[in-house]
Amino acid sequence: MQTPHRWFGAGHSIAADSAKAGAEAAASAVGGRTPAVVFVFASHQHDLPALLMAVRDEAGPNALVVGASTLGELAYDGASAGGVSVAALGGEGFTVRAKVAHIGDAGHRRAGAEAAEAMAGVTSPHSVLILLADGLSGDPHEVVRGAYSVLGAVVPLVGGFAGGGSDKSRTFQFIGDTVYTDAVVGVALGSDAPIGIGVAHGWHRVEPPMIITSSRGGRIFELDDEPALDVLLRRNDLAGQRAADLFHGVDALQALGLSRRNGEDIRVIHDGDDVDRSILGMSDVPQGALCWLMEADHDALIRGATDSCREALDGLGGKVPLGVLAFDCGARRGRLGPDGMQEEMAAMRSALGSTPYAGFYTAGEIARVRGALGTHHLTLVTLALA
Amino acid sequence: MSHSSSHQPTEFFSVVNAAADEETAVAAAVERAAEMVEAEVAAVVLADQVRGAWGFGTEVPSAGLLRADKRLGVPALGALHTCYTALGEDKKHGALMVGRLSAEFSPEERHMLQGMAQVLGLALRGIRVLSDERNLRADSERVAQVAQTKQMLVETLLRIQRTISNRRPLPEILDAVTSGAAALLGADSVALMLAEEGRARRLTVASTAGTPEASTHDGDAREAMAGGQVVIRALARDAVIAAPVQVTGEMTGSLVARLPGPVERHAEHREQLAAFAQQVSVALTDARTAEAAHEAHHDPVTGLPNRGLFLKIFNRVLASRDVATDPTSVLFVDLDRFKAVNDSLGHEAGDQLLAAVAGRIRGCVRASDTTARLGGDEFAVLLHDSPMDAATGVAERIVQAVKDPFRLAGRDIFIGASVGVAISRETAEHSDVLLNNADVAMYRAKKEGPGKVIVYEPYMHTEALNYLSLRGDLQKALDAGEFALQYQPLIRLATGEVTGVEALIRWHSPGRGLVSPVDFIPIAEESGLIVEIGQWVLETAAAQVATWRRTFPDLTLNVNVSGLQLVNPRFADDVMRALALAGLPSSAVTLELTESVLMSEPDLARSSLAALRTLGVQLSIDDFGTGYSSLAYLRELPVDELKIDRAFIARAELTAEDLALVRTIVQLGQILGLRVVAEGIENAAQLEALRSLSCACGQGYHLCRPADAADLPPFLERASLRHPNASLMA
Repeated sequence: MQTPHRWFGAGHSIAADSAKAGAEAAASAVGGRTPAVVFVFASHQHDLPALLMAVRDEAGPNALVVGASTLGELAYDGASAGGVSVAALGGEGFTVRAKVAHIGDAGHRRAGAEAAEAMAGVTSPHSVLILLADGLSGDPHEVVRGAYSVLGAVVPLVGGFAGGGSDKSRTFQFIGDTVYTDAVVGVALGSDAPIGIGVAHGWHRVEPPMIITSSRGGRIFELDDEPALDVLLRRNDLAGQRAADLFHGVDALQALGLSRRNGEDIRVIHDGDDVDRSILGMSDVPQGALCWLMEADHDALIRGATDSCREALDGLGGKVPLGVLAFDCGARRGRLGPDGMQEEMAAMRSALGSTPYAGFYTAGEIARVRGALGTHHLTLVTLALA
Repeated sequence: MSHSSSHQPTEFFSVVNAAADEETAVAAAVERAAEMVEAEVAAVVLADQVRGAWGFGTEVPSAGLLRADKRLGVPALGALHTCYTALGEDKKHGALMVGRLSAEFSPEERHMLQGMAQVLGLALRGIRVLSDERNLRADSERVAQVAQTKQMLVETLLRIQRTISNRRPLPEILDAVTSGAAALLGADSVALMLAEEGRARRLTVASTAGTPEASTHDGDAREAMAGGQVVIRALARDAVIAAPVQVTGEMTGSLVARLPGPVERHAEHREQLAAFAQQVSVALTDARTAEAAHEAHHDPVTGLPNRGLFLKIFNRVLASRDVATDPTSVLFVDLDRFKAVNDSLGHEAGDQLLAAVAGRIRGCVRASDTTARLGGDEFAVLLHDSPMDAATGVAERIVQAVKDPFRLAGRDIFIGASVGVAISRETAEHSDVLLNNADVAMYRAKKEGPGKVIVYEPYMHTEALNYLSLRGDLQKALDAGEFALQYQPLIRLATGEVTGVEALIRWHSPGRGLVSPVDFIPIAEESGLIVEIGQWVLETAAAQVATWRRTFPDLTLNVNVSGLQLVNPRFADDVMRALALAGLPSSAVTLELTESVLMSEPDLARSSLAALRTLGVQLSIDDFGTGYSSLAYLRELPVDELKIDRAFIARAELTAEDLALVRTIVQLGQILGLRVVAEGIENAAQLEALRSLSCACGQGYHLCRPADAADLPPFLERASLRHPNASLMA
């Protein structure tokens, strides 16, 4: 599949020992070649410095190593939780630069803009900026706005927000051999060949629409003038029960779709308040907006994975794909369950053929191809390289 | 279509107006504008300079932007579709530009951008005035005053935006605009005038604030609409400003303010009034969007809420009420004979009828009650705070209202309604359960006859379950061989001889015992099983009568046919196949149909019957006199026999009126050349009376009870010996 001059490799390990896991996955991805960049997507449970050191040993001293902590790993031989998935690429015609920016007090926007500066000096005919970011505080969309303020519409953006532990207090970003937290890593990737991007989710609206009659930030108080929690409970046949009964486990998440010109902007609703009867989402929900409860059956979610991969391959203008990076929503993983995850991997393999891929389950996906907006939820974003 | 337009400007408005300087306001505006219309790029052109270019990357095509290119070439991106919107009355005040790769901007999007540009223009002017005052080192009081005016304007407009975003009722929003404008401008009066539909486009006042005026400044309003811009006119002691209002490019009205003092004092108010007019535009556009959303939840034929919306409203009511004090009732209304009208007059007339019925039902309930069309000819009514008596009262009114004739396609149409009532007794009750209860009660009402109102009782549910289980058993009965036939002779009254037999179905259910046809035939008809069962009856009876005819060669067969069989396109073929298999000539068979069957499917019935008639099969009208008894169809349809319903003969001693009626039917038969059969002859007096009226044939217990096939030949033997009063089991 690969020309002698350009290559893409992927590896995956579920070894408990972090150094061993890093070495196994990297060895399989690098395969003794000299990579330009190595992407490492590893569970936060790993001893990340030890894991990165092992990756470095395989990648060689000159390779750029970047990555993020995950909510699960995507790999050709199956998905995992608690493992590591590695992609490596190199050869003629690829240009790679990276930059890390601390979020801190400067904020997501400033960090997004700084990370985008990685693109400086990349003059390849095709390029993309891959963002691996912390999205725990503030408005994660500001990372995309910041990057967009520097690059504009000329460069597409893809990537994902890193996953953290169950306490959701910290996520990690990697660059070089250093593990950062509260940071944005920008990876500018230039290529002589076309780059394809796929974005699909598989969710659909449940009629009738509702109006968000009262909201503040990500908290919705009322839908159609009725306490929002009561509406959600009732529409899930749980009227009279508690919020905990509705939001029990990630597989029970609720999705709201806001109307957009090209489909829905999906928001994950992950919690409810039994006292003020409000519900809480991960990002801002504007008051007055028309929204739908979104529903996805198992098959539709799997179809979403197929659609995303196909769209990415279609973007290659007929060129043979080298490999694919994938950013999948952690909540999709929850909804699909352990068997469904493997089914999703099977769907991706069948759509991609023998093309290797690596990626991770994120806390929010990034894909800006058209327009200026670029954050997604419950979506699979794929990036195909030729 | 996009439903997203109205909430977005609020966010835009807040962000742009929160900006303390021009640069921040422009930056916020371009960014939000691009995101709202999913554009890649945006910029503001101010005093021949490109400001706040967003999304272009490193190379901003300034020349193209200044030229306002319709297709803007952007390096590495390609040619973009653009939309430029003036920040003030014309583009010399500057313009907001957005550019998109994928598609041109729709009229709705352009309209939304117009609103955003207007807001940005006002914000920029406010910022500029304030900074000018500061630069002139004007006294702090003046600076404070300017800042306060700007703040007031922003707050007023923001308040209006919120009423729009929160989708408050339109009149409330329009009142907020007129009163907000009146307060801010210090106007004597502000009026919103909107053009009516139609060619004259008459202007009517939709909302006013301040002192009501004798004159409404029609001319100023029209001038602003015609020119599409703000007009200002000096009066003797004051001034009039009119700002046009448009909805997606079409001029729809004007916001007119009358301000005290000379014109010169009001120069800055032009822009402010235009900003208020813009808010009206946004509100009206949003109302149209909401109307489109409305269509998804309403039945287009009647304009009533559909089933989904009805249940939603019902749930809301159930969740919010106090059970003890607010009993909620639901009525399930089903129309009688609607299908016949729809089939005979066409769907368009059917739709008109449904719309008219909807109107009558609504006329029977309070404005606060909810009427919905559930589908087909089913309606539901939700009655708030209605105990049982009140609910049944409403139901009776609905039955009465629907009973009155409807005038359709130049004729009077008579239909009816059956109503089931269910009352909520517990908080935990679900809307769909209550609606289902009302449905069960309606079914019962239908069973008890047209035009009935029945209140749901829990036992009906058991009954409904019984019905379902009966249907289940019935489905198996045919295969299990649980059906049997009995035969009742038709006797020539003058001679006592048997002319034929009528086949009657019996169901011996292992679990239920003997089930009456009255109980299972309607179910067989509803479930469509009647077609199979009917065919079995025909085949079995034909074979039996063919056997008997070896001994009694003139014996004929009467078989009942359901409407569902008749409209089955294969019916004529099935009949002929059954007769051929049995070896029974078609001339020996009479199919019995009820009047209602003929009336509900007149066209289909006619063509099916005509085909059978051509093949030699005879036709009989069963239960004649109970339904329409229309002479027209007796003439038009290929009928051979009339059966006088037992109801006319049921009395032990027939009255003069009964006799008169029966005589009329007999004479009618004679005139039309039809055989007349009297059903239900149960005693000698009845037999004698019918004989005296020259009724040709009769059936009944007095003559011969229905008998099993094995028991009948002895009677046939005796009757063929012409005993006038031959009776097997009397």
